Amino acid sequence: MTAAKAAQLSAIEESGWGSPFRFVQPHNAAFWVYLVGVGGGALAVLRDFGPSAEFYAPALTGGLLLFGLYLIPWLLLLRHHNRFTSQPAGLLATGFVWGGIAAPFWIALPANGALLEIWAKVGGTSFAADWAAGLTAPVNEEFGKALGLVLLIGLAPRLVRSSYDGFVIGAFTGLGFQVFEDVLYVYNGAAQAYGANQFGTTAQVFLIRGAAGIVSHALFSAIFCAGLMWALGRTPAERSVPRGVLTMLTAMVFHFTWDDLSGLSGGGVLAAVLPFLIAVVELVVLFAVLRRAARQERAWTRDLLGPEVDAGFVDPVLLDAVSGLRKENKAYRKHVHGRRKARHLVEAAHDLAHEIARAGGVDTPRIEHARSEVRRLRGTT
Amino acid sequence: MREEPRGWVPVEHRWFGLDRRTFTPALITLVAALVLVYGLPALNAAIPWHNEIRAGDVLDLGDGATAVPPVGWQLEAGTLTGGAGANPTSLQVLLATGGATIELRGAAFDGTARAFLEQVLRSEGDRAPAVSGAFDTLTTDAGLVGVVRSTTGPGGDGVDAAFKMATVAPDTAPALVVRVQASPGQFERHRDEVTALLRGIAPETGR
Repeated sequence: MTAAKAAQLSAIEESGWGSPFRFVQPHNAAFWVYLVGVGGGALAVLRDFGPSAEFYAPALTGGLLLFGLYLIPWLLLLRHHNRFTSQPAGLLATGFVWGGIAAPFWIALPANGALLEIWAKVGGTSFAADWAAGLTAPVNEEFGKALGLVLLIGLAPRLVRSSYDGFVIGAFTGLGFQVFEDVLYVYNGAAQAYGANQFGTTAQVFLIRGAAGIVSHALFSAIFCAGLMWALGRTPAERSVPRGVLTMLTAMVFHFTWDDLSGLSGGGVLAAVLPFLIAVVELVVLFAVLRRAARQERAWTRDLLGPEVDAGFVDPVLLDAVSGLRKENKAYRKHVHGRRKARHLVEAAHDLAHEIARAGGVDTPRIEHARSEVRRLRGTT
Repeated sequence: MREEPRGWVPVEHRWFGLDRRTFTPALITLVAALVLVYGLPALNAAIPWHNEIRAGDVLDLGDGATAVPPVGWQLEAGTLTGGAGANPTSLQVLLATGGATIELRGAAFDGTARAFLEQVLRSEGDRAPAVSGAFDTLTTDAGLVGVVRSTTGPGGDGVDAAFKMATVAPDTAPALVVRVQASPGQFERHRDEVTALLRGIAPETGR
């Protein structure tokens, strides 16, 4: 066995890529806990909002419609980042539903209510008005969402291995939380006005929450869950408890600053500038975490396709692109003189890597077909 | 070694039909969730309120509007003047004492105080199992004209009052609803305190 082939088999084993995801697993305790969480969340929705749903139907319908549309560009963006040893859609949907139903309604709603009141009791209502939200939500909500990742580790232990897996699953879980919480805010906005001018309050909440959502739960959870995976070290080479804990704390601090902007800024000019400053810092940290988390996955992709490069099916520059980030992809676009062709070739090479992983490194007709696709797109036979 | 078929659990790992190897993530999640869902509310219930209204305290109703809360009641939500500041259209104040609560909530509403109170009642549908009195006019010491009505039912007695927080162009001003709820037989004990609070509601100076 060549060194490249050994590295390929090792990457398949370590990444778990290509393993199927099955949601219904009656023998798996994580499956039942997941059902308890999502079931508890669904019951809380019916109990708390069901009786008033008819009166607030214009707001709820508007909120669901607007935030449903808002979800589309988010899903396209996150789909783009679900790359390298990409996760199956079913697994990501499972995380999204946990983030949308269980985390906010089963966990955060009662936990936040209690902790907010504890801060008011301990520090007084004025202290609570300034700081309680930021001292509450980052704890309850970040852990509430991350529990979805822990359950997915139980449901798909072979698939959820790297910090990048944590990053992508965290983003989907956070997105679920964000969108369902937005609809909750629409309801609260309408209830605050006792149902008067429901379309107006809905549009107002949509504009505010939609803009703030760019650096909100999806971002916090992506960072937090990448940190959790570093701390857990499910890929031995990635294990780093200090880095993991620091990353998780960073996500919680971002969440704190977002929730306590008024307390931090103290009003005035700073209140207008601070959200943008914080957003810039958050985006810089987000991409730094993404790049660091992607290292392992990029190495696996290179190892998976290494024998294909040796055999001449994949160019070294194409390998750089399919295992690379923006810079490598840009270089590849220049190399093949075309954005479209480059995108197709990178996707075809990704398909080939996926088929190799699915087949466990042995040749199959599907792998042969994936190779022929790369050849066809390169314009060689 | 041969890989086990999908869903097959080796006998030494079985426990009442479950795969014991899956217990760690499941139990970590379950325990952490239960701590958050039930542990925090239990801790909250164990901590008493120590936020008693003292003589001279004034409630901040936002934009300079104020009310004088009854001394000795616990301020469980909302802020006093000189604190963090309140928003009149998202105001939430809760005062509580043995057997009674006073809730003040602000909202943006175009229309009269009566129309606002009717909107509040409409939003609650027929959920309140109580008999309501007729609307009456209440004028505060600062000249705010509001509406008030009393309620009584098996759960206790209460008062609902609504104001528009301006004496000039009140229709476009923020609205305030005050809900007083007392356990059966407790309202009379607090009647003077409630009346004093309602009469002491004042808009921003100059409005």
